[in-house]
Amino acid sequence: MIVCVAVVGHQNNPLFIQSFTEADDALKLHHIVHCSLDVVDERVNNPKKSGPMLNETFLGLLYPIENYKVYGYLTNTKVKFILVTTDLDVKDADVRNFFRRFHAAYVDAVSNPFHVPGKKITSRTFAERVSTIVKSFGFSSAG
Amino acid sequence: MEEYPEELRTPPVTLASLVGCPELHSLISTHFMSAQPPINTLALPDVSKIIYLFNNKTDSDPTPTAPSPLVPGIFKRDWLLKHRTKLPAILAALFPSHHLTGDPAQWQQLCSDLDSIKAVIRGRNIKFAVVVVVNDNVDEISEDRMIALRKRAEVDAKYVIVLNPNDAANLKLSLHRMASTFSELAVAYYREEGRRVKQRIEKKNVNSVELIVRYCFKVAVYAEFRSDWPEALKFYEEAYHTLREIVGVTTRLPAVQRLVEIKTIAEQLHFKISTLLLHSGKVTEAVAWFRQHKNAYKRLVGAPEGTFLHWEWMSRQFLVFGELLETSSKTTQGFAPIILSTSSKPLCEWEYYPAYYYQLAAHYLSEKRSVLELAISMSETNNEIDSVVDSVVPSVYVGQFARLLEQGDNVDMLPLTDEEYICYAVSEGKRFRDSLEIIALLKKAYESYSSIKIMRMSSFCGFQMAKEYFAEGDIGNAKQILDTIASLYRKEGWVTLLWDVLGYLRECSRKVGAIKDFVEYSLEMAALPISSDTGVRRDIGLAGPANLLQREIVHNEVFELVNGDSGLATNERINNLKITEGESLQLEVDLVSPLRLVMLASVSFHEQTVKPGASTLITISLLSRLPLTVDIDGLEIQFNQSNCNFLITNGQKSQLVEVSDGIQQHRTEIAPSLSLQSNKWLRLTYDVQTDKSGKLECLSVIAKIGSHLSICCRAESPASLDSLPLWTLGDFVQTVPIKDPILVLSGQKSTQVEEPDPLVDLHLGASGPALVGEVFLVPVTLVSKGHDVYSGELKINLVDVKGGGLFSPRDNEPHAMDSHHVQLLGISGPEGEDDSQLDSDKIKKIQQSFGLISVPIIKNGDSWSCKLEIKWHRPKPIMLYVSLGYSPYSDELNTQTVHVHKNLQIEGHNAIVLYHQYLMPFRQDPLLLSKNKKASESDHSESLPLNQKNVLVVSAKNCTELPLRLKSMSIEVEDNAERTCSIQHGSEELANPALLVPGEEFKKVFSVSSNKNKSKLSLGTVCLRWRRDLGVEEQCATTSTLSWVVTKQKLPNVNLELPPLIVSFECPPYAVVGDPFTYYIRISNQTQLLQEIKYSLGDAQSFVLSGYHNDTIYVLPKSEHILSYKLVPLVSGMQQLPKFSMTSVRYSAAYQPSNSSNSVFIFPSKPHFKATVSTNSRVESVVNL
Repeated sequence: MIVCVAVVGHQNNPLFIQSFTEADDALKLHHIVHCSLDVVDERVNNPKKSGPMLNETFLGLLYPIENYKVYGYLTNTKVKFILVTTDLDVKDADVRNFFRRFHAAYVDAVSNPFHVPGKKITSRTFAERVSTIVKSFGFSSAG
Repeated sequence: MEEYPEELRTPPVTLASLVGCPELHSLISTHFMSAQPPINTLALPDVSKIIYLFNNKTDSDPTPTAPSPLVPGIFKRDWLLKHRTKLPAILAALFPSHHLTGDPAQWQQLCSDLDSIKAVIRGRNIKFAVVVVVNDNVDEISEDRMIALRKRAEVDAKYVIVLNPNDAANLKLSLHRMASTFSELAVAYYREEGRRVKQRIEKKNVNSVELIVRYCFKVAVYAEFRSDWPEALKFYEEAYHTLREIVGVTTRLPAVQRLVEIKTIAEQLHFKISTLLLHSGKVTEAVAWFRQHKNAYKRLVGAPEGTFLHWEWMSRQFLVFGELLETSSKTTQGFAPIILSTSSKPLCEWEYYPAYYYQLAAHYLSEKRSVLELAISMSETNNEIDSVVDSVVPSVYVGQFARLLEQGDNVDMLPLTDEEYICYAVSEGKRFRDSLEIIALLKKAYESYSSIKIMRMSSFCGFQMAKEYFAEGDIGNAKQILDTIASLYRKEGWVTLLWDVLGYLRECSRKVGAIKDFVEYSLEMAALPISSDTGVRRDIGLAGPANLLQREIVHNEVFELVNGDSGLATNERINNLKITEGESLQLEVDLVSPLRLVMLASVSFHEQTVKPGASTLITISLLSRLPLTVDIDGLEIQFNQSNCNFLITNGQKSQLVEVSDGIQQHRTEIAPSLSLQSNKWLRLTYDVQTDKSGKLECLSVIAKIGSHLSICCRAESPASLDSLPLWTLGDFVQTVPIKDPILVLSGQKSTQVEEPDPLVDLHLGASGPALVGEVFLVPVTLVSKGHDVYSGELKINLVDVKGGGLFSPRDNEPHAMDSHHVQLLGISGPEGEDDSQLDSDKIKKIQQSFGLISVPIIKNGDSWSCKLEIKWHRPKPIMLYVSLGYSPYSDELNTQTVHVHKNLQIEGHNAIVLYHQYLMPFRQDPLLLSKNKKASESDHSESLPLNQKNVLVVSAKNCTELPLRLKSMSIEVEDNAERTCSIQHGSEELANPALLVPGEEFKKVFSVSSNKNKSKLSLGTVCLRWRRDLGVEEQCATTSTLSWVVTKQKLPNVNLELPPLIVSFECPPYAVVGDPFTYYIRISNQTQLLQEIKYSLGDAQSFVLSGYHNDTIYVLPKSEHILSYKLVPLVSGMQQLPKFSMTSVRYSAAYQPSNSSNSVFIFPSKPHFKATVSTNSRVESVVNL
């Protein structure tokens, strides 16, 4: 189950962060998302370590914490998407698919002429769409 | 890692035992320790002690005769230690050589010793070696005795070693041989032991799985003893996997203890495996192994009451692996590149950081703590169990505990029930302060992350650490860490995280009673851009949930505190914070302060420059992000000119706000309302007046709220207003501080106050253009018309009109001392004032194009003047800037200065143009061969014939608009140059200075001759002394007072050459019509060669002539040939003589005489001259009009 998704801007500032859990505390998830930015930075700054990951938007598993897995995605405009899930056995394809749909939703949201780039995404439609994508995560690989 | 026993942590080392000759033991053991591989030695002084070494074995036999109540465990606790410290792999008996060679009694003793040793080691398979210690010479021992010894000891010849401690040369070698023999024996021993145990496994008749684990472990340890790492690893892994199988199968022990034992064994095996993997550099395998280990045991929580044991164990796994990783990464720098896609679960680079493991170790330890706390609170300890707990000790098996029961001398180990064990564990757990451990772990992680610049992770660890510190009551440490974390969150705009951190910081400052910090943190929290609920509900920290309501609560709380509404103080939490009467709290808000959110002051002058004394408008805009409206009691606006400071008081509040400094009485304005609404600019416009010139800058705006709090905001210009970091990242409408659209973009917090208009006239009187070379005087006059001039300074600047410098370093003029084209030479004071009379404190600084001179005090109406002396070296227009700076007041305090500027463009002209011309004597023409070539070559230098008298005419033309006076013209030769030619009339002065009106030319004739055979001839420099004509004052001017300007021009070098032929014409100076005269043409051959000359003489209408028209003649060397013609003039007047032309065949040079020298005046009739006309005095100079 996805517990948290986030969009992080250029200055590593949160643009959108939404947790989908009743049981767990969102603050901890915020910390996890924030910490995972270190991994994104590291991957981006040391591309040679990543090797085949070069030039790919999907960053893969960022780091494992005891009960969560954190995945990352970096758009061409250097906006980061972070996904925190409690499923310890996740298929890469599912995550890729999720990010692809999430990216599409993000693009639609920032294409809104009233959206100021670099500002928080407040669109309710975006939030709803993200919820839908999150709920369908893992069920359909076809997307 | 430190809690593991030593024998587990370090790789095992071979143990050898030495018996006999105790004096040599230390020598041998020292050498063995440093041998490769090292050998530990167990030294026994003599053979009788052997019994003590081995007799304890019977006590700890794994199969005791008396059945123990304890369940046999998997490993025995002391097995490894025994093999490392007690049970040698090899026993070496040392005998002095005289025992062999001495009397039979000694030999008998030796034999019996050998027998007793053999008896002891028999059955244990311990290797045996004999060392014979000789003192003097090896040869003493007979071969027979050696063989007898070998037979007696039942050892191979190579295991009988001879050692001579006195033979220094060979001692090292023999010790080395001994060490290698011993290690060989030890390897054999451990291999045999290992094989023996391995056979037991392979027979598969072992009845319990536990024994297989034990055997595998033993095989691995034996392999380690002989440094066979792959085998050791293999069997450790085997043991580990076998152990994994018995989880849930075995029922030997009560459930909790069973799991504890298995986990302890697994921990040891895992430790060994990880160590071996890391030492062999297989970091990736080690990390993968750890992950597998962690995942395998993570779920084995066990019974609920023993959960804390599981978490503690987990924490230890992470800690130990982290430490192993850290030590190994120190030795092997830079691990292999991460292979991310080797398996379905790729490793992540994070798993290579020790900090990751420390962080998780801390996490599990905190899990353990919370469970343990629960367990402690639940376990109502009764005395019966307490007594049991006191007697619990670790049993002989690893991971097992037993009750020690003392019955008289008998000590019995009794098994424990699970309840007893849990009680024991809980009571053990109580003894440790886990939070200190957690802090230590987090600190390790924090520092480790920080050192590799992973700031967010380290912040997270730091935050957890700070929370632990906070819980422990160590406020100082907590606050310090939190402050650094807060700055990161501020920078990146993680408002929810910042909110949480600030909540802790606020509580920290509340606890230590730091009221200012408390207010600052509270205000920052209240001003954070949190509008809606962020969804954080549980574990909301100390700050409460991050939402607008909570912000308002915080806001109210802090304003209650600072307003000192003690009567209303219902808030229990802030009871310990009180502001006493009269105490004030000033918060500073600068450009980088986080409190800019709380209050931001933007100040803008409406005008960029103002006249002194005039008033200008200033707009002060305040913005607050606090959630509720703040009522300001007063605003104090401070400027860099303190007399402009003013106060704005709130008209709604009756009481007057005291001025902060209280000494100076400032202007006070009353504003109808000073309430600062959330997110709305409060704009106030007032006028400001100043008399002082210079910059007027608003420094700060101090808002006074209540009786105690004042917020001092650094004034910011709207034009350069930095946006608030947190609020720009959020989704909030940006508003502008000023409504005026121009001021928003260009408004500045400072304005320039102009200086008062100067009341001093500055005149620059310059008469006409300056002439190059002369010292040009520019009179400067200061006339005071209303101001006194104090501490005046006159600055003079010379600037090239066309731009660029006044000098060019490339030009190297001999007559200019430096390369300045225009130079300020000096400033002469007013009439009668000498430089020496100037006061010593007067400044006078003259540079090439810059001058600074101080001006004496000039009273109103007075005047002062000086003269600038400027010299032009080149014709160049320059701009002269003169500026006077002065103070109209005499007092030192009022340093206001007034400036007057004047400029004047002055042209610099060349006064005199010099040029020159060479002439040959009249009617004489040398053939200069170089002249013929000249057409083809670019050499334009003049050529002069050698040994001939040449005429040099130098003309000086006045090219100014002014009349000039000439004193002299001369040709000067450089002193050092060799005199190569003679110049007559070189340096004679004119009797009276000649007046040269504009456009007029002055000519002087010099005669030059040289007999030096030198191709280049330097003639010297023309020197012309002149000055301006003074007009009517010319008469009274004496020569002594006037300075003459010297203009110099170097004459170009000339070529000298010997002309081969010289043609000269001779004819009378005049002729009379009808009167015949003779015209001679003299051709002189200067060479040593015969010259063939073709010549022709043309007809002339004015003359009748007799002689050859054309001919070819030969002129002999060094002789001359004269052609003579008889001419009868026919016409009067100036007439051309018949045209003569000739060609030198040898030089193929034609000669054409010039027209001017080839004419003669014909009188109509014979003239009558007076005899006195012919005079001896020569006309030296001719002035042509």
